[in-house]
Amino acid sequence: MKNITLGQYIPLDSFFHRLDPRSKICAMVAMMIAVFIPAGFIGYALIGAILIMCVFISRLQVDFIIKAMKPMIFMMIFLFVVNIFVVKSGTLLVSFWIFNIYSGAIIETLYIVIRLLLMIMITTLLTATTKPMDLTLGLEHLMGPLEKIKVPTHDIAMMVALALRFIPTLIEEADRILKAQASRGVDLENGTLREKINAILSLIVPMFVSCFQRADDLADAMEARGYAVGAPRVRYKKLAFTAGDYIVIIGANLVLLAVIAIKIWVIK
Amino acid sequence: MSICFEKLSHEYSPGTPFAFLALKDINLTFAEGKMTAIIGATGSGKTTLVQHLNGLLLPTEGRVTVNDHVIEAGKKYPKIKDLRKGVGLVFQFAENQLFEETIIKDVSFGPKNFGATEEEARERAVRSLKIVGITEDMFEKSPLELSGGQKRRVAIAGILAMRPRILVLDEPTAGLDPQGAANMMELFKRINKENGITVLIVTHNMEHVLDYCDEVVVLGKGRLLMQTDISTFFENEEYMKKAGIDPPSIVRFKRFLKEKGLELPADVLSIEELAAEIAGRYRR
Repeated sequence: MKNITLGQYIPLDSFFHRLDPRSKICAMVAMMIAVFIPAGFIGYALIGAILIMCVFISRLQVDFIIKAMKPMIFMMIFLFVVNIFVVKSGTLLVSFWIFNIYSGAIIETLYIVIRLLLMIMITTLLTATTKPMDLTLGLEHLMGPLEKIKVPTHDIAMMVALALRFIPTLIEEADRILKAQASRGVDLENGTLREKINAILSLIVPMFVSCFQRADDLADAMEARGYAVGAPRVRYKKLAFTAGDYIVIIGANLVLLAVIAIKIWVIK
Repeated sequence: MSICFEKLSHEYSPGTPFAFLALKDINLTFAEGKMTAIIGATGSGKTTLVQHLNGLLLPTEGRVTVNDHVIEAGKKYPKIKDLRKGVGLVFQFAENQLFEETIIKDVSFGPKNFGATEEEARERAVRSLKIVGITEDMFEKSPLELSGGQKRRVAIAGILAMRPRILVLDEPTAGLDPQGAANMMELFKRINKENGITVLIVTHNMEHVLDYCDEVVVLGKGRLLMQTDISTFFENEEYMKKAGIDPPSIVRFKRFLKEKGLELPADVLSIEELAAEIAGRYRR
């Protein structure tokens, strides 16, 4: 349960770690759009090269990024198999028994796989270099304009922040209860269906109880420190753009423009 | 009923940026039928150590032997359930593990998992509940209706009902009032003495170590610092300094007497003995 790489923050000190979360979110959106523009392998090569550069700047270990991609392997295989049967464009490459593999199928699959890998790289870069709290703070700021149409942006951000804050705590708690029940002979792997259901219940019920208790305690603790829903608040942490932030936002948008240009003039 | 650690190391999340070596090269044998305290600062590896005893954690190096179960690093152990049947592990804040609708059902949960029949499990549950001092009128109540201390007792009964030969307790008295904590320690001592069950207890309370335990194991930063019997441990100022603990009040008092010129034997470690000893010396 401790090997969840996707979305995990890695505490390091790098150019990316120090950036304003808002600029990172904006850059991520721009890069995501760029990934979805069908600019062929040249476009992907450009985005990929920029992202690999970013990974090095962020000081993240390469195997950490690779590990984040691992859960996608199954999906890639699935896509490949489906595409081979469905896509019948391009030239016929191999033909045996009832299977006909066309070049179009291979290219199509490669497109999707590369697109997925790039997307994972982008999101991993964001979440691994930004503390969950900063991420929600950035989101709250970016959602700011929505406040005009009565969207409770602060409440949403607070809820997201609390949920993120308690994920590791709950994982730890689940791990502890799981171990406690295992000591009482619970076996999640073997046994009849009835036994398995009972085993899962022995985890879920205590988790529910402790979640409600935690929520209650947290609400009390927050109120004791003067938190009131809807009241105006000041911030301890002020977000401020630095030169680096402008560079990243402009850079990401330049990549987006370049990809669009490739799409218009090179690929046609 | 022997427990033996050989060159055991345990590393959490190996090969990740979060890798942490929690135990380093532990060589340790626990005496059978004794009550041993495991002490050490927070983060010294006490909980990690005890979780090796019933295979919740597997060594990343070295091995653990519990009776005829040998668990070696890097190998899956097939008879883990059999091992867990013999080693009852009570977790920190054990009250969090209660989940059945009634107390009696919750306590019978363990024995049933280990193959006891419905009646057998119930009978064992009744006995364990009585041992921990939960009266019959409460058996059909929901565990959620109980106070914190009572819940803890029920959780401990849930482990006792498994009839383990080795009882491992991870800070069983944390968060209890002094009287409740003392009662609980009495209970463990009784189980240890009357049934000859080996008891290992992780604790921060030196008074408890002094009053109830026979032996002490000190961990520091994942290493075994020392293993010795109680009177040697509390007699030796150097040991306690090494373990980074404050001596219990009676030890401090004995030291004070020694400074003033009254030296008492090392095995005088309770208020009654101390009083008798002093009275004996000054009786005309």
